[in-house]
Amino acid sequence: MSIENSQSGWRSWMNSGEPWVWMNAAAVGISIVAVVGIVLLIAVRGLAHFWPADVITIQVETPSGVVRWSGEEIEREVVNLDQFRGASDSSNIDVELEQRLEGLTQVQRVLLKTGNRKATPPDFRWFFDHNIISTVELKDLMVVERSEWGNAYGQLAGIKVNGKHSNLENTSEEGLSALLAQQHKRSASLRKQLLALEDGELSDISYALERLRLDKRKLEIKYAAQPTELENRLVPLAAQEDALRQTYKGYEAQLRDLRQQLKRDSLELTAANGEAIHIEFIDIIQTWQPNAMSVTDKLGHYFRALGAFLTEDPREANTEGGIFPAIFGTVMMVLLMSALVTPFGVIAAVYLREYARQGTLVRIIRIAVNNLAGVPSIVYGVFGLGFFVYFLGGSIDELFFPQALPAPTFGTPGLLWASLTLALLTVPVVIVSTEEGLTRIPRSIREGSLALGATKAETLFKIVLPMASPSILTGVILAVARAAGEVAPLMLVGVVKLAPTLPMDGNFPFLHLDRKFMHLGFHIYDVGFQSPNVEAARPLVFATALLLVVIIIVLNLTAIMLRSRLEKRYKGVES
Amino acid sequence: MSELGQLPPLSRRRAWINTLTARIVGLGGIAVIGAIVLIFMYLLWVVAPMFAPASIKPAQQFDLSPTTILKTDVNETGEVGLRFSVAGEAELFATDTGSSIQRVTINRPVSQVITVAGDDAMYALLGDDAQLHLLRARYRVSFIDDQRRLNATIKPAFDASPIRLGQPDQLAGFDVAFADEQLLIASLSGNTLSLREFRDVELEYELEEPKVIELQLDKPYQQVRFGPRHKSLYLISDEGGLEVLNINNLTAPARQYVGFLVPEGEKLTAFVPLLGRTSWLVATDAGQLLQRFLVRGESGYDLRTVRQFDVPNPIVKLVPEPRRKGFIAVDNTGTAHLGYATTGNILTSYDLNEFAEAVMAIAPRSDYLLMANQSGGTQVLAIHNEHPEISWGTLWSEIWYEGYAEPIHSWQSSSAANDFEPKFSLTPLLFGTIKAAAYALLFAVPIAIMGAIYTAYFMAPSMRALVKPGIEIMAALPTVILGFLAGLWLAPIIEDNLSAVLSIFVTLPLGLFVLAWCWRLLPSNLTRRFDGWYGLLVVPPILIMAASAIVMGPFLEDSLFGGDSRAWFRDYLNLPYDQRNALVVGIAMGLAVIPTIFSIAEDAIYGVPQPLINGSLALGATPWQTLTRVVLLTASPGIFSAVMIGMGRAVGETMIVLMATGNTPVMDWNIFQGMRTFAANIAVELPEAEVASSHYRILFLAALVLFFITFAFNTIAELVRQRLRARYGSL
Repeated sequence: MSIENSQSGWRSWMNSGEPWVWMNAAAVGISIVAVVGIVLLIAVRGLAHFWPADVITIQVETPSGVVRWSGEEIEREVVNLDQFRGASDSSNIDVELEQRLEGLTQVQRVLLKTGNRKATPPDFRWFFDHNIISTVELKDLMVVERSEWGNAYGQLAGIKVNGKHSNLENTSEEGLSALLAQQHKRSASLRKQLLALEDGELSDISYALERLRLDKRKLEIKYAAQPTELENRLVPLAAQEDALRQTYKGYEAQLRDLRQQLKRDSLELTAANGEAIHIEFIDIIQTWQPNAMSVTDKLGHYFRALGAFLTEDPREANTEGGIFPAIFGTVMMVLLMSALVTPFGVIAAVYLREYARQGTLVRIIRIAVNNLAGVPSIVYGVFGLGFFVYFLGGSIDELFFPQALPAPTFGTPGLLWASLTLALLTVPVVIVSTEEGLTRIPRSIREGSLALGATKAETLFKIVLPMASPSILTGVILAVARAAGEVAPLMLVGVVKLAPTLPMDGNFPFLHLDRKFMHLGFHIYDVGFQSPNVEAARPLVFATALLLVVIIIVLNLTAIMLRSRLEKRYKGVES
Repeated sequence: MSELGQLPPLSRRRAWINTLTARIVGLGGIAVIGAIVLIFMYLLWVVAPMFAPASIKPAQQFDLSPTTILKTDVNETGEVGLRFSVAGEAELFATDTGSSIQRVTINRPVSQVITVAGDDAMYALLGDDAQLHLLRARYRVSFIDDQRRLNATIKPAFDASPIRLGQPDQLAGFDVAFADEQLLIASLSGNTLSLREFRDVELEYELEEPKVIELQLDKPYQQVRFGPRHKSLYLISDEGGLEVLNINNLTAPARQYVGFLVPEGEKLTAFVPLLGRTSWLVATDAGQLLQRFLVRGESGYDLRTVRQFDVPNPIVKLVPEPRRKGFIAVDNTGTAHLGYATTGNILTSYDLNEFAEAVMAIAPRSDYLLMANQSGGTQVLAIHNEHPEISWGTLWSEIWYEGYAEPIHSWQSSSAANDFEPKFSLTPLLFGTIKAAAYALLFAVPIAIMGAIYTAYFMAPSMRALVKPGIEIMAALPTVILGFLAGLWLAPIIEDNLSAVLSIFVTLPLGLFVLAWCWRLLPSNLTRRFDGWYGLLVVPPILIMAASAIVMGPFLEDSLFGGDSRAWFRDYLNLPYDQRNALVVGIAMGLAVIPTIFSIAEDAIYGVPQPLINGSLALGATPWQTLTRVVLLTASPGIFSAVMIGMGRAVGETMIVLMATGNTPVMDWNIFQGMRTFAANIAVELPEAEVASSHYRILFLAALVLFFITFAFNTIAELVRQRLRARYGSL
């Protein structure tokens, strides 16, 4: 010892392990940075999406003269010019610019969302700072959110109402704004009627027609050998069908009429390049003038946009609009899965803790549980597709839905199979958590119950399970969190990028287990990687990811809190 | 005590509920084992048919009118047979009873009948007057009153008179190809090769005047065949000589290869092109059966023997499968051998008896073999051979695929072309899986274990109470989010700041070292207060170091890599750069695996019995010495099982790999290139795979392999943990 101490400070410092302690601490530090960083990144990017950013108008020098563009600034970056000089896509660098940039190796550039995709595609443009002559924020610049073709940017030039053209020449600016507000009100009410008709009566009738078709087919199969009998039975169906089709036609006429009314009026914008843009009110979701809005106005807009994001249907191949069907689908799937996984998980845990004699069988079951937890989720997907969808589903179709064949009813990926697959995937989570809860219940309590004459089953139902219920709940919450974030197996057993109908509606049997559904996690993958306009959809992906992360973190925190409360509760009993 | 014995018996209802509960609970427990066994058995059940042996069984036999048959064929569904007689008659008949469906005749004796290349229902009949007749069979299925009816007809393919190919006594061989509205006819007369091209051809319409090209050859050939996609011509002489002409430009055919179809000193006994006409199956009198095709080398094309089939006797007749690369070879003892090109296997053999000399054809779905002999005897053999392209070799070894210069490992499951040879090697996928997992663990294991050591052994309890659940929440973070961030956010950042990112791996440890040294110089009564909080203390330095690395990046880029690190790696180290690569996957999947390993390893270290630690400290060891010599050694099985479980998770992770790599099945350890893993491959291809096809079953096999790998890792981890528990039970 004394020899070591007398050696140089460096050596003894190294021997003390102090630097290695720091390294270990750094590993914790990196993990903390990663967790906090990821959550912050998603939060910032996701929340920023709904803010009505100011729109700038710039004048840019190009080879073909000076051009004006309006748009939202998305990002700025410093680029190495050498990468551009040799590249094929050097449209932004011409000879003249080359001279001005002589000797420079790096230059700033800015990405603008210029919108107006219909007139001047694409949505996004890079501009070199060197080419920008001036930047202004025009107070009256208007952003129009369209149901197709993305945003339009421009100055309000006029409004056409029922053939009457009001523009800046014959109307004051205030007059135009008032007219616009009035028009918004009108189209909002028309749109409401339209939606009510489409989602209500019309979809009900088409559903009824489809059922009628299947009923007909059913009869045809049943009475294949008795043609006269079949004919007799088909008559009432045909009458029903005729009546339905008649009503359908009436509604369709109404629908056409509403559309016509919505199409009647239009808005006129002047784009930065001077071109006029006409937008019919049927295409307008909303308009705003960000440069003229106060912070409170913007906050109001922000929360409205957030609300719309959570409650509306997606548009434009999922790159715009809301994510309501994905939220709904995720919730439905998770609820169904919980209903399936809870009994199975709890019974298995009760067996392991309360009923089984500890021995080889229990050891094998434990290995099985661990393996169920460790098998990759995609393997569950493969199993689910093969066994549930094609094997079980195919058999169900042949037995119960022959009228729909060859179109499969249950023999195709759908909500039920997705829930079953994920229930299997999350069973270990429930088992482990429930077991933990059962272990904590002191023996004396069970013995007390048995001593009072209760049977084993009565002890289980009246004493043990109620006491373990918080840990069962913890397990189910963790299972739900796991299922909500799982994507790989769902891609195989029932999730689609765009489901035409929700898995639950007003038509009998209300819950449609055979339907395909949308899912938040898959929505992220699909919009982020499969969509044609990834750049435009990216903020939406961040917003969706944020929602998913928040759901999962809240679920996990709830589970952690439940667990710690449970720990405290039994501390007294055990002693 | 005596009252206890007088407890009233349970009511029947209570007793019944009690028993029922016990039964249900027992069933539930067994169901867990049932679930895992069911998954395993089902996967196995889907995979097993791939390795089932092929079989040939007689199905039907009947007699038709005796006549000399030149050619037979079977329709897609195997219901209708077709035979062409030397008298110029084509007859359609039902394959179950032999009853005749339709007969047509060209009223002229016929010398040869062939199937037209590119349309397997069109037949070319060469009359003894050297006039070519083209017939086409049609099989139409209709449903009348829900009754399936198959309507088979055969009639002239075009509204045109026969095509004259030359003088009857001089004409040797000919071939016809029909594709993309182009009809090509090649014929040999002595040393002259004639090519006729009809353009804008439509079935059942008239043929316009052909363009005729005549070519003088150096020597006479007896046979001519179109090559792959009708872009080349194979001229074959009876001795086995071969000349290949490139006819991509019809007016100026260019010689591609001159040589021999057979090995030196052997004679050609039979040859046939396989589907796609790239591979040629060649049988010689020396008993060899070879698959050969042209390979482009440095000095032009060369005909290479790709594989040799193991047949007992010399082959005299070869029949190809119309839609696959399989064949039937009949040897001189009258035994048929069913073989497949890609695997090089002879799958089964069958004694033909009196049909040894018969004319035969394999049905398009390769499920029937129709044989017709000259006495009118006709036999249908049922072939059960669902997955001939799969063998242990094709799944794991290097295979010499058509069009390649050498055997390779390759995964390419589908293509637009229907003469495509699927490449089902799982090796690149296994490699990709291992590569992704290896880079992820390289990143995750040090951080997770070091973090676990600090958290369990050094950290202040109040901080531990926050850090542990915090990192465990990271485990709950959906991997789709990590993958999306990796693919869309991290990958472009790493691409733009490559040298900065790489430098962090060096500067961060060094910087921490310096930081620790500086910390030592501070007065100890100040530093002692922060004991156990280092984990939080290092966060600002880490952020500062990372930020400064990004700022310094461009300078590093200039000074070390000449301004462009990606080009530098490509040019000097031969490491080409993809935006979505193993580095990105390593980091993203590392982050997904860290919490798993961390949590289990931390539990193991935290669970080391306190008396052991106290004993070591009491003997004078420093905390660090106690850690390395006592705590880590004791916890090592637990840490090992943590790494095992982490490995299992990394191997099976799907979404991160799917989103953060280009999913190209390359076999290269290059950290700057992507990979394709089992899991990602399944996710991409299974939705599109046809149920029960080889592709579908192979994807199930991939899932089964994944299942096995993770099963092994998890079971080892669990067994190690159980032993650990047993060991500490006494402490």
